[in-house]
Amino acid sequence: MTCGERNPYPEAAAYRRPPEVVMRLSRMGSFHQSRLSFMRALLRRLKRENWSFKRNLWALDADGFGRAVYTVYGPERAYSLVAFSHYLPDEMRSDRVIATAWDATFTLFDGIPTTEDLDRLEQNVPKQEAGRISDSELSLSRANKSVRLWRYVVDSLANGKQPDREQLEAVGYLVRTTAVYGSGKFGAADRLTIADRPELSGPFQAELLSVWLIRAFSIDLVEHVAAARGGERAVTIEPELRRRIGVGNSTGLGMAPFLVNHPALLNNWMMAREEALARVRALPRAEPAAIREFRRHFERAVDNAAQWHSEHPIQVEKLHALRADLERMGEYMERESLVDDHPWDRFYRWAEASLSLEGQEQLVSLLLEPYGELVDELTRCMDADEHQSFFIDGSMPAKDLREIVETHCQWALNVDYDRPDNCARFWYTSAEKLEPRVGERFDEPGAEYELPLAIGRDLWALHAALQAWRGGATVAEFLLAHPEHRHTARRVQNLRAHPYAEIQDNLIAADMLPIDILRCKLSFFGATRFDPRSDRWVRICMYQDAPFPHELLAAAP
Amino acid sequence: MSYRLTLAEAEAYLRKAARAVGLDWGLAEEAGKAARWLAAFGLPGPETALAQLERLKGRDYAAFMPDCGHEPWQAAGGLLCPVVTGAALADRSAQLVAGREFALGRTAHPLLLVAILGQAARYHRVAFATAWAGVQMNCFGDGLQILGERDDMLCAAAEAVRCWRDDSAVAEIRPSTLAYEIDEALFKRIDSLAFETYVPASEASRAGAGAGLTDND
Repeated sequence: MTCGERNPYPEAAAYRRPPEVVMRLSRMGSFHQSRLSFMRALLRRLKRENWSFKRNLWALDADGFGRAVYTVYGPERAYSLVAFSHYLPDEMRSDRVIATAWDATFTLFDGIPTTEDLDRLEQNVPKQEAGRISDSELSLSRANKSVRLWRYVVDSLANGKQPDREQLEAVGYLVRTTAVYGSGKFGAADRLTIADRPELSGPFQAELLSVWLIRAFSIDLVEHVAAARGGERAVTIEPELRRRIGVGNSTGLGMAPFLVNHPALLNNWMMAREEALARVRALPRAEPAAIREFRRHFERAVDNAAQWHSEHPIQVEKLHALRADLERMGEYMERESLVDDHPWDRFYRWAEASLSLEGQEQLVSLLLEPYGELVDELTRCMDADEHQSFFIDGSMPAKDLREIVETHCQWALNVDYDRPDNCARFWYTSAEKLEPRVGERFDEPGAEYELPLAIGRDLWALHAALQAWRGGATVAEFLLAHPEHRHTARRVQNLRAHPYAEIQDNLIAADMLPIDILRCKLSFFGATRFDPRSDRWVRICMYQDAPFPHELLAAAP
Repeated sequence: MSYRLTLAEAEAYLRKAARAVGLDWGLAEEAGKAARWLAAFGLPGPETALAQLERLKGRDYAAFMPDCGHEPWQAAGGLLCPVVTGAALADRSAQLVAGREFALGRTAHPLLLVAILGQAARYHRVAFATAWAGVQMNCFGDGLQILGERDDMLCAAAEAVRCWRDDSAVAEIRPSTLAYEIDEALFKRIDSLAFETYVPASEASRAGAGAGLTDND
């Protein structure tokens, strides 16, 4: 972690959970959003820096089709969400990445677009992957309406009634994004273009700014259509009810390999979170204000768990456990002092021994809530210089490489990868949609182009090959003879400075759940209401309860 | 017709294209990074990588690998692959930093070699010089200097190449982050090579990728 050397809280080190505890899929698949999540870091910055906001264009017809521009103005730069709203026949509405048309399409423009920019974007953005955007755009995304809720809310508002709170909360959003692309995809500006802008240097800040503005657009759109239909009878959504509306998202396997393909970045996310937890656990006592704040967030977590629905058997069971865990946490708080004797560490250690992983990780997120001053600065450590970790130190003795594997990767060495259930899967890029998928090695073709995501098996193979290199030979000599291990050797050297870089589970095992990887990543984004629709496909909610642009930011002139 | 390829796309396409012709992933990553590094300086990295990969296609790349035990380094097949050789040089870059000079025999597309050394220069924060025919290219972590004949820079093969650390070098060209313009026909050739690493859809894979429940509600 780039901030590690200057850590002002050395006493926290003793409380840090080791990688072998944290980097397990079952635990990563139980993470919850926290103060460090990227959505929350983004909104904190916009507020702190007094950004302003203006809807610069609203050119939609009575049915809600047309285009709109939302601009946020920062101290140095402005960014604009450009939205196109389209007619979409019901039978074409699909969240799958194989869809070719959507209810609405978006791009985040770097600055304020001219009419010529908008005309160019209108030729491309609605086509999504089949179009091309440019160095002036920072993201490309699309959304579909929630059929369940959209018509109901339009009808209610058009008839002068507020939508029913329960129905609203049961879905949680009016539109669901089905992909949010950034970083040089489909012609968009390269990541390095924005990497040294403080407001966008953190992970996924451009993409998440897009989503925040899409949420505002979805409310404006539903109110616009209701007003056109209901005329003078129509009402707008009450502010308190409106807050309950987030943006949905459907995500499949496509985003899962990201965490594996960016080991230094994954390390920095994990390390920041673990350091934050350790700092709180290291506190010898808790002030009354902190305890009050903790209790307030605890109550919100209880509400959240009550409203969090899923039909997927795995998540149903996890939610059951989470609700029971929260009840037990409540009992603990009645029974035990939260004041003295390292209260948060005692609480955490009790949870580790008593609760399910869902409950333990919920507590981790809750423990950070009262301590913004202690932990928020860690969000500055959550990006990564991946060029530095790409370099291979060929002068290292080959035996040292083997020692790193033995020190950091025992988890990979104790698996028999010849057993069919331990190598049942393979990751590949689909020719159909150019996105990653998981195949069954023994039933499906294509394993010869397996993506290098079978980290455990490859570590095992590297370790085996290194057995013969016990003399003074260097990594450079080893890799000249064994170029097939180059990718893995790079990862292994990276572990010296990035101990949380590798998921310590077999990613090609028959029982591996891709949704665990998705949940980990989405929790870092700040997503809630994780609702798997299969073992490799998940729905979430973003920005539920967050302020809207016109609430958080001043109106721009 | 030209096509605007972002730097991220240049890297990703060439990485896959390199895998398609049989380079292992770790080397394919070097090829992708090299294409991107050159494109950032407005140099034909993607095109040069394509030319080299098309040369490797259908052959065992072991024939293009250097014997690093004897100088000048030579390939068993008589022509060094700049990706494999560049990686071997980068792996020995601590020796370059310490003052050793490396001599290579006949080398294909030495421009790619410079690009891979550029990654090492960034890591070590020093300048490495590479010279062949009438050109010398000095690479820095975030800059480049081209001395001599630019025509020689793009040659398909050089008879001899030398590499050393050069502290007198001055970075004259800075990298851009903007998209790189490439001839569309050449891009299509890169794309079709990359496409060979993709796995055609089967009913099983389509069913598995999506929601188990309806996704239109």
